[in-house]
Parts: sequence; C-alpha cells; structure tokens
Amino acid sequence: MNNKRRGLLETLTVGQQFVARAEDNARMDKIRRYAPLILLVIMTAIGGISQKNFFSWANIVNIMFQMSIPLVISVGLSYVLLLGSIDLSIEGNMGFAGSLVAFLVINNSNSNNFGIFGIIVVILIGVAVGALVGFLHTKAKIASFIVTYAMGCIMTGAAILIYRGTPIQVKDPMFVTISQGRLFGIPYITLISFAVFIIGAIIMNYTAFGRAVFAIGDNEAAAASTGINITRTKIKVFALCGCTAAIAGVLQCMRLKLGQSDLGLNQMFPVVTAIVLGGGSVSGGKGGALQSFVGVLIYTELANWLTLMGVDTNVKKVIQGIIIIIAVTLTVEHNRKTVVK
Amino acid sequence: MNEVLFETKGVGKTYGSNTVLHDIDMQIHSGEVIGLIGENGAGKSTLMKMISGVDTPSMGEMFYMGKPYVATSIINANHQGIGMVFQEQSLVANLTISQNIYLGREKKYSKAGLVNWAKMNKDAKKALERVDLSVDPGKKVRDIDMATREMVEIAKVLDVVTEVADGHAIILLDEPTTVLSDDEIQQMYVQIQKMKEAGNGIVFISHHLDEILAITDTIYVFKDGEETAVFPTAEANLDVLYEKMVGRSTTGEFYVENKQTVHSDKIALEVEDLSLFGTFNHVSFKLHEGEVLGLAGLDGSGTEEVCACLVGQAAPTAGKIFVDGQEMKFTNSYQARRNGILSVPKDRRDEGMIGILSIEDNITISSWEHLKSNGLLSGKKIRSTAEKWIKEAAIKCTGPKARIAQLSGGNAQKVIFARALESNCKVLILNHPTRGVDVGAKQEIYRLVREMTEAGHAIIVIGDTLDECLGLASNVIIFRDGLISGSFDCPVSGKPSQQEVVHFMM
Amino acid sequence: MKSKKFSLSDLSQYMVIISVVLVFLVFTVLNPSFVSAYSLQNLMVEISPLILLACGLSFIIFTGGIDLGAGAMVSATCVISGLYVSQFGNGIIPIMLVIGAVLGLLNGCIVAKLKIPSFIVTLCTQNLWAFIALTLCPNGSVAVDLSFRKEIGWMTSKLAGIPIIFFFALVSIAVLFIFQQYTSSGRAIFAVGANIRATRLAGIDTDKVQIMAFVVSGACSALAGALYAYKQKSAVPTIGDALTLSAIASIALGGTSMAGGRGSVLRTAIGVVTITAITSGLNMMGIDPLWKNIIIGVILIVAVYLNSDTKGRDIIVK
Repeated sequence: MNNKRRGLLETLTVGQQFVARAEDNARMDKIRRYAPLILLVIMTAIGGISQKNFFSWANIVNIMFQMSIPLVISVGLSYVLLLGSIDLSIEGNMGFAGSLVAFLVINNSNSNNFGIFGIIVVILIGVAVGALVGFLHTKAKIASFIVTYAMGCIMTGAAILIYRGTPIQVKDPMFVTISQGRLFGIPYITLISFAVFIIGAIIMNYTAFGRAVFAIGDNEAAAASTGINITRTKIKVFALCGCTAAIAGVLQCMRLKLGQSDLGLNQMFPVVTAIVLGGGSVSGGKGGALQSFVGVLIYTELANWLTLMGVDTNVKKVIQGIIIIIAVTLTVEHNRKTVVK
Repeated sequence: MNEVLFETKGVGKTYGSNTVLHDIDMQIHSGEVIGLIGENGAGKSTLMKMISGVDTPSMGEMFYMGKPYVATSIINANHQGIGMVFQEQSLVANLTISQNIYLGREKKYSKAGLVNWAKMNKDAKKALERVDLSVDPGKKVRDIDMATREMVEIAKVLDVVTEVADGHAIILLDEPTTVLSDDEIQQMYVQIQKMKEAGNGIVFISHHLDEILAITDTIYVFKDGEETAVFPTAEANLDVLYEKMVGRSTTGEFYVENKQTVHSDKIALEVEDLSLFGTFNHVSFKLHEGEVLGLAGLDGSGTEEVCACLVGQAAPTAGKIFVDGQEMKFTNSYQARRNGILSVPKDRRDEGMIGILSIEDNITISSWEHLKSNGLLSGKKIRSTAEKWIKEAAIKCTGPKARIAQLSGGNAQKVIFARALESNCKVLILNHPTRGVDVGAKQEIYRLVREMTEAGHAIIVIGDTLDECLGLASNVIIFRDGLISGSFDCPVSGKPSQQEVVHFMM
Repeated sequence: MKSKKFSLSDLSQYMVIISVVLVFLVFTVLNPSFVSAYSLQNLMVEISPLILLACGLSFIIFTGGIDLGAGAMVSATCVISGLYVSQFGNGIIPIMLVIGAVLGLLNGCIVAKLKIPSFIVTLCTQNLWAFIALTLCPNGSVAVDLSFRKEIGWMTSKLAGIPIIFFFALVSIAVLFIFQQYTSSGRAIFAVGANIRATRLAGIDTDKVQIMAFVVSGACSALAGALYAYKQKSAVPTIGDALTLSAIASIALGGTSMAGGRGSVLRTAIGVVTITAITSGLNMMGIDPLWKNIIIGVILIVAVYLNSDTKGRDIIVK
C-alpha cells in the first residue's frame, strides 16, 4: 500500500490523494463486509466435506436447533454491541429467568402453577433488569461492562436463592410439549427462536429506534445533534437485551426442564464470538440483525465441526477467544476519538 | 436590496476572561450569499456556532425574520429555519441516504412504529433532486463517494430548513469545497445559486478567495474576533481582501523581539522531502539551534501533520528525518522524546493536560528519568523541580500538589511549557502555544520561548495567529494545500508584512 | 464552584475509611466475638491472598482498563502451585511470580499493541486460564500430598500471634506501594488512566506502561493463587470463580475510579478488609452465604457510582 502511494505522490495533487485515501478505506470496508459471507461458504464447505450427510434435512434441522438459543441471545446483544457497549449480565439474567420460571410453573418443589403468566412475568422482569442496567449506565455514567458485570453477579446470586441448592425440576406439561413438539419436523423451540429473531430484525430495520441505535454507535455526537434522545435509546437497548436474555433463559429451561443458575453458564461468550464473526464491531456502529444471523450460523457450523473433530469444550472456548481477538483486531477502528478502555 | 432575513447586533463571545468574538453586526438578506473570510481563529467558526445553535452568544442580540432569535441546539435552530453544513461530515455511514436525511424525523413515515422506507425513499429522492443528485436514496452512505456525501449533507440541511422556512431559510456552509474537485465545485456553485434564487440567505466560508469572489454577493472580513471590513463583492479584489484580513500588526515589543536570537549554524533537525499521502507532499527544511522556525498555513494546509510526523504520531509515506545528522524513524512520541523532540500540543485539554493529576506530575512527567535517587523516583526532587518552575514561569497555583485541572488556561499552558523545558529535549514543537490564553500569560509564554532559544533549543512554532507566527519566528515557511508555497527570513529588523505572507497562504 | 463544600467525590474520598469503621462497629455490637483474637486471625488469613489479587488488579484499573479474568488466573495458578509444590518445594512461589508475569504480559501485549478494549481481551483470555485449570485438574480439587503438608504449613502458622501469610500480604502491599509511588512506570500508570493521549504526547511509552500494569497484576494474581494453594493445601480449579467480583468490588470500595487515573493500593487493601469483614460478619450472623454475591454486586455498583464523575464534561461512556 505504501509503495503504491509513494508512486502516486508525484502524479496526484494533495487533494486528489486525500480523496484516493478515503476511497481506499471504503474499498477495505467493502472487503470486510463480505468476509463473513466468504467465511460462511468456507465453513459450509468444510462441513460438507467432513460430514457425509451434512446437507440432509435432518442435519439442517439439527443445526437450526443448535443455533436457536444463541440466536435469541444475539438479538438483544446485537443492539448492545451496535452501541459500542457490552452486556455481561446476560448469563446471570438467563440463569435467573430459567430458575424463576421453573419456580413459577408446575414443578417438583412447590405447588405453583402460573403457566403462561409465569413466563410473561419472568420476561417482564428481564426487561426491568435490563432497563435498570441501562439507567445506571446512562444516568450514573458507569461503563457498561462494569454495571452489567455487577448486575450479572447479582442475578446469578438471586437465581441460586430461588432454589437454594437443589435445582427445580419442571413438571409442567406445557413445557414438555414445547420442548418436544415439532412442526414440519422443526422443533418448536427453534420456531420460537426464529420468530424472536424476525421480530428483532424488524425492530432494527423498520423503526426509528433501530436506526437511532446505528446512528449512536456510529457517531454519538452527530446523533445527538439530530435530536435523538440518546439516554432513552440506550435504556431501551439494554431493556431489549434483558428481554431476549430472559426469553433465552426460559427456552433453556424448557429444553432441560430444569431451573438453575447454570442455565446461563457459557452462553454469552459464544454469541459475542458469533456477532463479531458476522461483522459486528465491538466499537459500535457496525453489524445488524442479518449479520448476527450469519455470525451465529458460522459459529454453529464451526462448533459442530470442532465437536466432530473431537475437540474438548475447554479448548473450544480458547479457540473462540482467539477468534474474537483476531476478528476484533481486523475490525477495530484505531483512529476513533472515543477510546473504549 | 431584498428584505433582511437575519441580523446580528453587537454579538460577541467570551470564554472566561478571553474574548474570542467581539461586536459583530451582520445582515443576511433574502437571496444573498455572504462570504466570510479570515485567518484561523478569526472568529468565523465561533459566529457560525452561535447562529447554528451549537453555542450561545455572551453578548449582543440576534434577530431572525424580525424577531429575536435564540437557538438552544442544532435541532432547535433547524426547526426555526436555520441549518448548517458542517466541515466534518455528520452522516451516519451505516444508514442509507434517505435514513440519514430523515434521521430524527421519522415520525412522518411511521405507522404503528414501523417506518415505511419506500415512502421515505420517495421523498428523499425529491430532496436529492433539489440539489440535482440522481443517486439512489436507498444506498448506504458508506457506498457513495465524498463529493456525493457532501451534496447529501446539503440536501439534508436544505430539506430540514425549507420544511419550516421555504424561501427565507438561512443555510450556513462551512468550507464545503475542501473535498471537491474543480468540476464538483462548479456543481456546488450551481446549487448555491439555486438556493439563493429561492430567496434563502446563505453564508459561505472558504479559505479559497477565488471561490469567495466567484460566488458571493457581500464579503465580511474577520480578524482577531472582530469584523474589520464589509463590502460588496463587486468592489473587492484580492489585494484589498488580503489587506483587510491581516489588519494591524502588533509591535515587536509584544513578542519580546529584542531577545530574538540569531541562530547558530549547527543543524538540530533536518527534514528531507517528507510526504504524508493525502495531507502534505515534498516538505524539506533545516532547523538550527537557537532558531525559531514558524510554520504558517491555514487549517488543513499540512503544518500540523508535519509536526505530527516529527513526534512519531503519524508515519510519513516518504522522506527522511535527521536529528543531529542521524536519520531517525519514530513510531511513537516516546522515541521522539528520547531523541530530543517533544511537542507542546495544540489541544491543551485533551492532549496537553493530564487533568486529574497534580501540577508536579504534569511538569515532571517527561523527565522522570532524571529525577531519581537510588533507582527510585525522588519525591523531593520532583517537588523541588515543580517549585522551581512554578516560580520561574510565574504559575499561579495553590502549590505543586494541586490538580492541573484547577488552573486557568494560561497557567495550565505554562505548566505544559515547563514540562517541555524540563525534558531536556533540544527540539521543541509549539503547536498553537497561546491558544485560549489571556494577554498577560501570552507575554509570559513569549518570554519563555526567547529563553528557550537563548539556551540553544531549536523551536518550531505553529502560531495561533499569523501575527504571532511572524513575531516569534526567525524564519518562516508557508504552506498552501499541503505544499510549501514560500518562505521568508524574519530577522528582527526586517520582518515580512503579514500581507506579503498571507498571499502565499491562500 | 467553591460554594458547594460537600460533594459526592468528597464522600468517595473517605468512603473506605468510614465503611471499614462502620462495618467493624456494627458487627462488634451485634456479635462481640467478631473482634476476638481468633476471628481476627481468621480474617487475616482470609484477606491475604485477596489483598494480593486486588492490589495487583488495581494497577490495571488505574490505567482505566479491567481484567475480568483475574479470578480465573488465580484458579490456574492455584492449580499449578498445588500440583507442583511437591516437586519444587517452596521454590514454587518465585516460579509462580514468573508464570503470572508471563500470563499478564500476554494480556498486556494484546491490549496495548492490538488496541483492543481490555474487557474484551480478558473475557477471551480467561478461557485460556480456565482451560489450564480444568485440564490439569479435570476432576475437581486435588489435595497436596500428606507427606508434604508440613513443608507448606508454615504459611498459615503464626508468628507473634499473626499468621505468616498476612506478613506476606503486608510486604506485597509495601512493594506495590513503592512501585506505585516511586517508580516512573508506576506513576505513569496513573497518567495513562487520566489521559492516555496527553501522556503519549508527553513522550511516555504508553504501550509499555499498559503492559507493565498487566504484568504486575499477573504476577500478583499468580502469587495469590499460590497463597490459596498453601492455605487450602490443595489445587482448587474453582477457587477463583467468585474472586474477580470481590476484587473489583474491593477496589471500587477503596475509592479508586473505574475510569482510571485515581486511587491507591493502600485504599484497595482497606477495601478488601471491608468486603471480607462484611461477608464473614454476615456469616457469623447466620445469613445465608448465597446472599454474598448479591451484596457484593450491589456494593460494587454503589461504590462505582459514588466514584464516578457524573457531572464531568461530555465524555461518551460506552
């Protein structure tokens, strides 16, 4: 690049060089944008080669099922990362939501039977916790990673308090139906997660709120100057993330028919990996619902393949970490003025 | 002349004890294009900020359509019919053109919370057509070139203000031609002409006087926060404009010129054919011990980036830097300092002061290596060094332990100077050394500069004003559009006039 | 500006002293045996490794960064110490210092050279530490060989009634305090946290300073891991799980700003005493230990809020 530019020093005026530089950047940006798709093709090819019936309907359904819960988490987390913030409370929220919903529906430890209302209450609590996080983050000006970290610890503690040692077993027939039912061979849980994703994508792409999130992540000062209410938008984003974390917790509880804080364990990190793989940036402004979907798909195929190769879970996490660091290095914008510490 | 749309009466702005804009009277008529010219820091941007709602005036009044005008924010000004196209583009790259144009105004297109993009795109298309742009409004901003972005920005502002004030809106254009090619500039003229014919009032800022002469009807000249001349463009020519822009020079006494040293023959720093792609090209100069070399040029002419390369903040595309005859490549300011180059940065608050630390830490941070005893930092030495400088530079403070953030601008700047002097660096780069500093502290700083050269330091100055640059420098290099356009010797007896110099700047 | 004599930031200055006194007062009134020699000795043993961890971590926070993997690093190093102490004897302590420094170096280089936010980096690298811990100890804790217990017993034995492990903590605090106050790297750490741009332009090698903070923190975490191994006489792969929270909360309670630039290891040490006293006091009162995380989490949020500069200029907080 530098050699080419050295050559151009003679032929272009400074102004033309300036424009050329901006266009070079735009070109690099374009390459970065298509990288996730290329990655998806590569991962699918690897899957097809290493697995005999990779393209069978059964395997496709299986992949869709595996990506269900990460997909739900990614819906909310995408918004948060678009802002350039992070939500480390997702795991705590999920554990709490799963534990509380198990406590509220028919179970082995008490006589509660709130059914669908239990689920609604749990999701509303998720929204409230997210809103509280957003409130503390924006009003008290505490960095999101610290507020959400503390909140995550609180929620995990609260989850354990619900069942005190012995995880609750869910006996509710509704849960059994949902976790085992299928429509056209696709599990209900997958259908629900795709529905959540579609709603999230619509909100992101077809509402003023969704556009405002992009604007804030790209350039907060400019967004403020167009009259966007930054504080309110951010609180909404964290509330939304709390909401999807709670839904993910409930789905996880349905899947395992068990209520315990571990439901959320190790759920967030893969999704951060996935979103970054899909082209989301930790410094905000980049990515989107579709990109996150692609990311989750790449990640699921990757995880699948690693399992097939007999890679240990802990090694998998290390690999995820390396992926994030590489992907972030390639996408982080070094010349931005706001420094994320 | 048509009716007066907008008027300022005696408007001014002070920051603390520092007056940056004083007693401005301006009238913007319907269908008039006003050209606003002046050096850096003349107050053009300050006035624009107050009209566009970014800042509020400290004195005077503004009237819009005959009524008193107060704008609390950009958006508030927009709603009244006044909009500004900012120098640094404010578009969101990840959104489409139409989403950018209607950002924050989506209500009109929402039904049950969902936005009808198709309808918005249709309106956006109309808004773009007004500036003769045929680009697809559904395209994302990151996919269009710089010139188109500029036009989109104008279309956006035009759409916002004409929504409420069609035919009597005020549009402020702050250097809109910087990223445009000649053809694109002609396009811009056509658009300005159209806005004008619709009856709007336009303020056009540019560093290129030929543009000002080509498109404006009336020219306002600013100098040091004051309005030095107003005349119809038809009566203006380059010489008159130059003369009005530079105004009166300050006496040599103010810059302590009697202490200006004649530099030695020893070369402290040599720059050979230095280029930074897209910023400046082919810059060469020699800096001697005891010399003050002034770099003169308008914002964006490349002076500051040359200095950034010298302290390792930017990597030059081509060229060489020699310190004491040795070729050097710096990848960071630490290496630059270890090889004897340190800068006093321009943006004092963000790049100079380490706000929540004490004055003593701020003074000694660049020289901790020399303040040790038995391998550990000596609190006593740090303290006495700080006290020495507080006395020597007459820094008004409660003591070396006080936080630097509590000091006034001038005193904080003196702390940063003390840091540079204590660092033992031979070459010091003073980037706008007196920005936002009151007159008394300015003199103190000039005195320090003279003491530096007397002690054999070699100094590069980017002056806050041209007057200052010439007053301090013993040699001056002038930059225009990233190239060296001229140079002058500035001995005490025969300093060039500002008029001679400004000729090479614009 | 001067008219307002008392502000939140003043309160945060004294918060740590007020809270430690308050905590001891309240618990002593509720249960006089709280200040008995026995329970104080216990407290000293309890706080020592955490002091090391939190004081080391403080340096990262002074730079404005964070290490979310500090606890996991303690787990990994506790496991290594516990498993290999029988081979290297007490030489394991200097070995752990070196290992910790190397682990910290890895974190620091990624943060400083690749310019990735530290919370992301440490979120990733903590998996590496967990991987080390769980690979070496896949089936839970492993006790140090009985024959070897005596050789590591000295750490928890007492000298003049004070546990030796506590002296360890005191010496570490002293060393870290000297580093913080009387070395150019130590002072520069605060400058980096206060304004990294200005510090860089003042000719400080900010990359080196950031890396140094991570190295010091890594060494301290590893030492804390070794102390836990000595204290528990086992390699415990889960020992660090809850420690990151306690350490960060102690630092925040000490009055150190999470935005960087302000604080002291002495304050952190007192913060650790307070946090530990609160949890052990609640324990003595028979409050369910399940509440611990919730209480510390709330303390963390409140303390960070009091330390944060809410009316400062328009900094964009992410």
